[in-house]
Amino acid sequence: MTCDLTLRDARSVARIVNLAHRFNCRCTRIEASSSAGTTTAFFAFDGPAVALARLRAQIERIVANERAEGAA
Amino acid sequence: MAQNGALAVVEALEREGVDVIFGYPGGAIMPLYDALYEHRVRHILVRHEAAASFAASGYARTTGRVGVCCATSGPGATNLVTGLLDAMMDSVPMVAITGQVRSELMGTDGFQEADVCAITQSVTKRNMLVTDAADIAATLAEAFALALAGRPGPVLVDIPSDVLKAKLDHDAVTPEKPPARHNKGPRVSDAAVHDAVARVRSARRPVAIIGGGVRADAVEAYRALVSMLGLPHAATINALGAAAPGDANYLGMLGMHGLKAANKAVQRADLILALGMRFDDRVTGKPDRFARDTVVVHADIDATEFGKIIAADVTLHGDLRPTLEALAAAFAGGHVPRFDDWATEARLLGGALPSDNVAAHVLSATDVLDRFFAAAPDDAIVTTDVGQHQMWAAQRARPSHPRNYATSAGLGAMGFGFPAAVGAAFGRPAVPVFAIVGDGGFQMCLPELATLRRYNVPVKILLIDNQNLGMVRQWQELFFSERYSATNLADNPDFAAIGEAYGITTFRLDSPDGADEVIEHFIAARGPALLHAACHPTENVWPMIPAGMTVDDLMEART
Repeated sequence: MTCDLTLRDARSVARIVNLAHRFNCRCTRIEASSSAGTTTAFFAFDGPAVALARLRAQIERIVANERAEGAA
Repeated sequence: MAQNGALAVVEALEREGVDVIFGYPGGAIMPLYDALYEHRVRHILVRHEAAASFAASGYARTTGRVGVCCATSGPGATNLVTGLLDAMMDSVPMVAITGQVRSELMGTDGFQEADVCAITQSVTKRNMLVTDAADIAATLAEAFALALAGRPGPVLVDIPSDVLKAKLDHDAVTPEKPPARHNKGPRVSDAAVHDAVARVRSARRPVAIIGGGVRADAVEAYRALVSMLGLPHAATINALGAAAPGDANYLGMLGMHGLKAANKAVQRADLILALGMRFDDRVTGKPDRFARDTVVVHADIDATEFGKIIAADVTLHGDLRPTLEALAAAFAGGHVPRFDDWATEARLLGGALPSDNVAAHVLSATDVLDRFFAAAPDDAIVTTDVGQHQMWAAQRARPSHPRNYATSAGLGAMGFGFPAAVGAAFGRPAVPVFAIVGDGGFQMCLPELATLRRYNVPVKILLIDNQNLGMVRQWQELFFSERYSATNLADNPDFAAIGEAYGITTFRLDSPDGADEVIEHFIAARGPALLHAACHPTENVWPMIPAGMTVDDLMEART
């Protein structure tokens, strides 16, 4: 599973890596760069399909919360 | 205009309309306490920071407003963590403000230093470290907006003590964005609504399940929809009170200790209308056997809930109230199906709540709770702690509104019930507030009796004392070969004497004789009161669907 994300908070990269570990997924590639309050990150994960689905949902929640924060 | 960072915090709280905050002082947050000394935001001194977080949760759950707690750096902040996670699990809007060591000490393992933002990253929607006093107003405005936005939850703002003390250069203050109070998430799509309505129209045995999402001002819309359709419906523990009082089609709480009719009806349903609920494992038991061959229509504001546990045939992504209103309007625009016959059939799937046969002369916890709920005012707020009493209460309570019932549902945090009642009492001072607690959880927050006494908070504590960690004991009895490891509390203290030592009016109940009279006096007592009910030690909660099992495995007694 791969994810291309644009994040407001660079710390979310660490959060996503921690979640992958929690769900027994392997983070096989991370590329991230930050500038002017925006972090772009690319992730590649391996793991059981169920765990990857759960990880994707949690990543979507992080992104949604960041979006809500932006709107707020 | 604020003269320093701490005053900027207080002014931000005032702008948000915060009338009370719950907290405990300490070194790094002393500048804030100094600012609170002469300002209009009322501070309630609890006796442990965990109680501050639970009180803020109780306040938020029973008012719908953001609950606020504060604590100092290090241990003060870490003591908030359980309450933050509780709020995260149950979608409770909360803002926690923590002091942090001086900026120059951060990273030096300074006294009472903790990386609170790292610690709380997974138990908050968001946390912010403020590094410049000029950012305080904008950061807190953002925190309050985010706590309420979409699916509510906790936000933590960590402020180093030097930032709290810093003089403010008003020309440099970061401007606040206009508050986005109505950012309640997306509006449900018309296509999804029409799909859902078509599915319900073609169903024969639909059941609605309402969850904690109903707290988003959706109670009236929910009651209108189920009434319009004559729909049998059940509630998760976070939605108790969603059903209109006296609604005959309400089947009660569902799940592990839910009512038989609710669980059986959901099992027999050919369509489940899941509304603002998340298919927790205490509801589904064994997900691959829950709602098999059933059409699932799932409405939620959090799209990540769709398919997380149970696959949905139709998803309704949006705030619950407009979603329910859109469903009702779509039904009203065409054929309005009625399910009265099925609702009658569903009701008959249940029966009286089973209970252990406790000898007539012995005080039974379920009997005490039956008598209490029969006598308690209809508009009362009830909070509960966690364990057997929580389930017995949830089976019996018929609160008039979801905001009249607060329990730590998702997290199941013992020690929640009593401080949550304190928070509720400050949030809604005109309403009688009762905390139903067990002897285990009550001992986790005994010092809050001092809070009751200091502020003369009229919380009434109903202590169900069975001299055991009863729920764990029940599982040991049923599933661990009666090996009662670390659950016996036969050496409990004299709780009534403790209450008296704190100056609380106390009542004792150790026999069914005269129980009604004692309960009436307890309910009518002025000011704070404690009723110690010494109950049978081994009464169990029935019915029960063992963890990971299905309604087919429902137990109504020990076999």
